[in-house]
Amino acid sequence: MKALPLLIFALTALAQWAAPLAQIWTHEQTLAKGTLIKLKCTAPDPYDPLRGRYLAVRPDQSEADVPEGAKLERGMSVYAMLTTGTDGLATVTHLSMTPPASGDFVRVKAGYAYDKKAGFEWPFDRFYINEQLAPEADEWFAENIRKARGVVAEVRVLNGRAVLADLSIDGKSFREILKERGK
Amino acid sequence: MNSHHRWLLEQLPQWERDGLLTADAARALRERHAVDASQPGAAQIIMGSLGALLIGTGLIAVIGYNWDDFSRPVRLLFAFLPLLATQLLSFHVLQRGDASAAWVRETTALLQALATGACIAIVSQVYNLGGEWPDFLFWWMLLSLPLAWVLRSSAVAIFYLIAIAVWSANQTDRSLPWHDSPFLYPLLLLGLLPFWPGWPPSRTLSVSVRWVMTVSAIVGLCSAALGHYWYHDATFLWLWTLTAAVIALFPLNQAGIEEPTRRKPQVVLGSLWLLGYGVAATFRDVSDDILKATTNALHLPWCWGLLAVLLVFVLTASARKRWAVLAISSISLLPLIAFPFVQNKGDYYSTLLSWLATFHLAAIGITLIVLEFAGKKSAPRLGAALLSVLIIARMADSHFSLLAKGIAFIAVGVAFLVFNILMSRLHRQKQLPVS
Repeated sequence: MKALPLLIFALTALAQWAAPLAQIWTHEQTLAKGTLIKLKCTAPDPYDPLRGRYLAVRPDQSEADVPEGAKLERGMSVYAMLTTGTDGLATVTHLSMTPPASGDFVRVKAGYAYDKKAGFEWPFDRFYINEQLAPEADEWFAENIRKARGVVAEVRVLNGRAVLADLSIDGKSFREILKERGK
Repeated sequence: MNSHHRWLLEQLPQWERDGLLTADAARALRERHAVDASQPGAAQIIMGSLGALLIGTGLIAVIGYNWDDFSRPVRLLFAFLPLLATQLLSFHVLQRGDASAAWVRETTALLQALATGACIAIVSQVYNLGGEWPDFLFWWMLLSLPLAWVLRSSAVAIFYLIAIAVWSANQTDRSLPWHDSPFLYPLLLLGLLPFWPGWPPSRTLSVSVRWVMTVSAIVGLCSAALGHYWYHDATFLWLWTLTAAVIALFPLNQAGIEEPTRRKPQVVLGSLWLLGYGVAATFRDVSDDILKATTNALHLPWCWGLLAVLLVFVLTASARKRWAVLAISSISLLPLIAFPFVQNKGDYYSTLLSWLATFHLAAIGITLIVLEFAGKKSAPRLGAALLSVLIIARMADSHFSLLAKGIAFIAVGVAFLVFNILMSRLHRQKQLPVS
């Protein structure tokens, strides 16, 4: 067997493991050691709450202040500084071009900037749920979403990385609501 | 070509039994037209690929199930198990080398590529990762590319070519950095060159791979042309025409030049676009837009890059005496010839390009016909068709009455049919045995 094809195959196989393992490592670190923040989300569209067996998650806040003199370009990676309010919900106080030395922050993608504000995109936008629970979720949203106080995304953040851990509605985990409903 | 050789080899035993061939003649034919076993038949590739696709799609469908009842480590195990199994299978096939049937190599390679995609997709599902699907596609195709090299898999090559074209077409947002835009396409295409490294460069690509590669190159390079801010809508059309010329003139070795045109999709598709563009340029309004587009395009680095590559390909084609393709590709340069004469002169002189295109296409059409009667290899029907289309286009763009146009169209149609009958008789005469 020729050496070159074998070498290339070995490197390829390693790369095919390394790519997902690297993702797993960084996200497990974030889930284990990250700070839990809660973000208020807009309820997904009740007429299309599920797209392909996941919920579209859209945090309420999508723009923030930009420091004087900062030149943001659309698509650029910037850092959203987070502060937790008395209600337990986190908000973005401002965007920064560089990561801060302390505090909780998330790396986001800058949108269009105008005046002293800029829009931004969160690094998460979906919450996968069990295919068997999906029809239940569809039905639950149609019945209850206008009554609910709001959907809250529970996110773990560490060194700018954010992992969406759970969704809760009126203080209760969304998955638990659906499981109880399904019984 | 393998399919023709296989047909011939299948007929030989019967011909020998019927007394049409001697045993020596049959042996000589078998040696001369041996089937290249390294190139799997199309049926083999399709069946093997279908099997792999069904298994791979099943794996990906399993992702959609979202097993909440399993813990995260168990779900991740399900992500990696298929990947491990397919990698072991591929290693076994590699070890066997040429002893493995071609369809086995193809199926194994495709399975591993699909398992890689499934693994990445399951991990993103487990961690609720967002992101855009083009980013997923980009990393999936890069991680699959080496499988085309080591397992010499046409199926993975085709997947890769489709993936880079789709990715490029999706990245035409002008705010993206160059490494995240279609400008990366030429580099991505080089990754397949063809199925390197380490394999003999004389490897010939199957017709299916050639067609997919050509269409992929068209989509990728045209997406790159769209990646600029343009002042005028027709700017990208001229860049696309330069792209068509580059593709049509892609360098070929002598064996490639001698192949029939139908086995060279880059020549077929490139020439079709160039001829269509040429006919469009004969219309005065269109030629005016083309000249304005040329002014804008000459400010773009991509345009100068295309012209530089075109120059190299023109020199190579000239050295190989590919005059027909050169003549058709030169249509793309007509705006450059007209440009210095019309700059800053307003609309009055814009008919220059229209006339240039008309005469150029007429010259190509007449030459193709004359060469046939001079006993040279040519395409007289293409020449006649070109002249017919040209006449119709000129009549359509003229101020003649409907009656005059109608009579002209009928005359052109009759002349075209008569020419076709004449060519058929000429070919039959050539095929008669010399007495």
